[in-house]
Amino acid sequence: MAQASSRIRNFSIIAHIDHGKSTLADRLIESTGTMSTRELKEQVLDSMDLERERGITIKLQAVRLHYKSKDGEIYELNLIDTPGHVDFSYEVSRSLAACEGALLVVDAAQGIEAQTLANVYLALENDLEIIPVINKIDLPSADPEMVRKEVEDVIGIDASEAILASAKMGLGVEDILEAIVKKIPPPQGDDEKPLKALIFDSKFDSYKGAIPYIRVLDGKVSKGTNIKMMSSGKLFEITEVGVFTPNMTIVNELKAGQVGYIAGSIRNVRDTRVGDTITNAERPATEALPGYRKAVSMVFCGLFPVEASDYDKLKDALEKLQLNDASLMYDNEVSAALGFGFRCGFLGLLHMDIIQERLEREFGFNIITTAPSVIYRVNLTDGTQVSIDNPALLPDIANIVSIEEPMVRASVMLPSDYIGSIMELNQEKRGTFLNMDYITAARVNLQYELPLSEIVYDYFDQLKSRTKGYASLDYELIGYKEANLVKLDIMLNGEIVDALSFIVHRDKAYARGRKLVEKLRGMIPRQMFEIPVQAVIGSKVIARENIKAIRKDVLAKCYGGDISRKRKLLEKQKEGKKRMKQVGSVEIPQEAFMAVLKMDD
Amino acid sequence: MPSLYVHVPFCVRKCSYCAFYSLPLGGEGSERGNIFKYLTGLEREIEYCYTEAPAGVSSLFLGGGTPTVLNYQELDSLLKLIHNRFSFRSSVESLSIEKTVEANPGTIDQEKLAVLRHYGMNRISLGAQSFNDDQLQSIGRIHTSADIELGVKLIREAGFINLNLDLIFGLPGQTMEDWKTTVNRAVSLTPEHISIYALTLEEETPLGRRYCENSPSKHDNASLPDDDLQADMYGWASSFLNSQGYIHYEISNFAQAGFEGRHNLSYWQGEDYLGLGPGAVSCLNGIRVKNVQDIDLYRNNLVSGAKSLNNGEVEYLSQNQRISEYVMLGLRTTKGIKINLFEEKFKMNIQDIYGYKLVNYIDRDILSLEDGWLKINPAYLFVSNLILQDLIL
Repeated sequence: MAQASSRIRNFSIIAHIDHGKSTLADRLIESTGTMSTRELKEQVLDSMDLERERGITIKLQAVRLHYKSKDGEIYELNLIDTPGHVDFSYEVSRSLAACEGALLVVDAAQGIEAQTLANVYLALENDLEIIPVINKIDLPSADPEMVRKEVEDVIGIDASEAILASAKMGLGVEDILEAIVKKIPPPQGDDEKPLKALIFDSKFDSYKGAIPYIRVLDGKVSKGTNIKMMSSGKLFEITEVGVFTPNMTIVNELKAGQVGYIAGSIRNVRDTRVGDTITNAERPATEALPGYRKAVSMVFCGLFPVEASDYDKLKDALEKLQLNDASLMYDNEVSAALGFGFRCGFLGLLHMDIIQERLEREFGFNIITTAPSVIYRVNLTDGTQVSIDNPALLPDIANIVSIEEPMVRASVMLPSDYIGSIMELNQEKRGTFLNMDYITAARVNLQYELPLSEIVYDYFDQLKSRTKGYASLDYELIGYKEANLVKLDIMLNGEIVDALSFIVHRDKAYARGRKLVEKLRGMIPRQMFEIPVQAVIGSKVIARENIKAIRKDVLAKCYGGDISRKRKLLEKQKEGKKRMKQVGSVEIPQEAFMAVLKMDD
Repeated sequence: MPSLYVHVPFCVRKCSYCAFYSLPLGGEGSERGNIFKYLTGLEREIEYCYTEAPAGVSSLFLGGGTPTVLNYQELDSLLKLIHNRFSFRSSVESLSIEKTVEANPGTIDQEKLAVLRHYGMNRISLGAQSFNDDQLQSIGRIHTSADIELGVKLIREAGFINLNLDLIFGLPGQTMEDWKTTVNRAVSLTPEHISIYALTLEEETPLGRRYCENSPSKHDNASLPDDDLQADMYGWASSFLNSQGYIHYEISNFAQAGFEGRHNLSYWQGEDYLGLGPGAVSCLNGIRVKNVQDIDLYRNNLVSGAKSLNNGEVEYLSQNQRISEYVMLGLRTTKGIKINLFEEKFKMNIQDIYGYKLVNYIDRDILSLEDGWLKINPAYLFVSNLILQDLIL
């Protein structure tokens, strides 16, 4: 039965944002007749609105293509998409594990970017066959030869057969399809062996329940099969088996080497853990697949419903999002200022942004987000160490011996013109220079050790603005280092607002405190009393501004004819206040809680 | 017992800040035909609804518009209609019935004043607004400061001993000095009562449009005093008037002892009121009705026998709305709300309704609860919306 899988190819596409991955995927779908041009509204793989707006892939998607090769055979090509942003390397590793090969798409005018490089290394670790594709050769500034050399020099793979393409113009698409068939090995595996399928993704459908996306390694699965989740031992009966065309389409069975989905009234989202192995309950496999290492949350923030009564609904929404996004972590959090909410862990800032936006858009929540934090390790006088992801929970200063912060090794690829400017930025960000490689005469790969908290703060924005958008960044966690860190609290009307506290290097505390206090003064509307806004470290005030008291808010006239109208005016005013959070005697607009982060002006 | 308000919807011309229903009545031309329509309609309306006040009415307020824009015969007809059907009964035995008429400088003469006196009108509220002629002109007033002084003289000569002057602060281009001059000149005329109103920009008025956020002409106009300056103007006037013997008894109202406006106080005390005339509002037993705000519809409806004058504008107030309004109105007065009256009226304990909120305001000295009266600390009257919106149910 190994014959069936000899005509299957499973592959993904590795590309930097904007290097043309989605357009190329569209062309592949189109030219294999999987979908007509008309059906293919635009870039079907980026099916989330958010993805289309931002021009990036967040959630990995899969699609099955049928391609009639020049050898006369029809091949089943399964494309599993990968996200192209630094936050999502975990998702990339998931899709790569379900493939035997990958297209490396590089922009002919821009060359390799930091994140592409990181993903290629991931693919090589997974023993994937890499097919280099130099895209956008139609651009006037395209320099395919330079890029070909870059691929060889930087990645160290043979690029002599790199395919020159323009997905936009439809150039090279046929060559790419042929290369997929010829170069990428067919999946190994045996239909007759006990079922072994890897869950590489899942989604929740309100009718069908949790739907795992699977890659079958051995055996087969069809409607009626009783399956077992190997990590939990839970049993389910399969009610539907299908593939992505790219819409979900029912098929009779999925066999070794194939990619598709299964459904089986799996109610509980926790039962379809990405990375788990599915096997046949009656004829189980003896050993599970290696699975995935747990996604590491690097950035944490508090999410609070504006309406306290939305707490349970928010919890449900997070649970649903987590089903589609195993890298999202959340736990209960109670804030003196904001009440009951959730402490959430994200892969990075973009990830955080996206989750927040999806909660607002798809679930219609009004939420308050607190400033992001990293995990600090705090060494206490009693010899123990605690990890905190919430500045408000930092132990009393008297009990702290030292604080350690997470450090990353950051690679920045940039045109050499901007080296000075980015070195300066890294200096400001408390970075330590590690290395600098010239990729070509005009481009360098700059490596620094940087505190993660500095990257979280406004590094991306700075990087972009200082290089006119030409730099790309990748980073990996390398460990913890002790630093002179302090907790900066904000006091409004003499009371600490826990949700506004953050941890900062002592040398930067004054400037950050000053800026934040000024910003808050501008954001918090005038109220009945003058409100002092203070930044404090311990008991020491380092910055202060005053929000002057409001002095006029009155109905000058109110006689028989206008009583209704005036009452309604007050009702409207009351309604408007609902967007504010009452903290002690002060009303704070929601945006103020994010002010800590957005101080780059 | 309700109070009685009669709306007279005519003016010489409309002021640029005014949002009340009023028709311009320039010359002696066809526009005066509207007065006939009005009186015809009013006669019918009175026939239909004088029974709404079987025990009589507690006060009369003839407002507008400018009632004194009517000539003396028209005034006579109007007052006759009212007095034929309504009996007046003071809610306080020892006090005479308060009967107020609004007047504007430049529209009063001895004959009209004599007619008013004849029907027992005993209080005149004169729309002075400002003593700065440029500012008067800029807001579309028809008179000068000299007209105000002349008007007051005529009023006094006619024997009126209860006079109110309305003043506005926050006018375009107005400075603190301008305002002080206006208040001083008003006081020098020794009215028994002075109202000072912060200018309110209503969207649907020419002034409101001129100063709205998106108006292209906004920047070409004399700037409006900002909130801080207005608060200073208010604060200064309050203490100055106080020093001159005027008691601050409501957000915008000051009076010599015994001259508080009783008709208006009845609104603030949550009493019922009957309103007649186009655009007038009545509120009886928790039902609020607004008359149609169109002179022709008003007259035609009434003549064709339609008793109901509203245009779908009927509001059945819920208990919560009634409480909200009672609090909103009562806290306008410096005496405040009498707790036992409140509880008698609503059969509820005010602390049960507001609980911690009330305690919190009292603790912060924003509200006070003394001798059974709940009131706003006078220092917060000019920001009272911040408190009132919180107490709306």
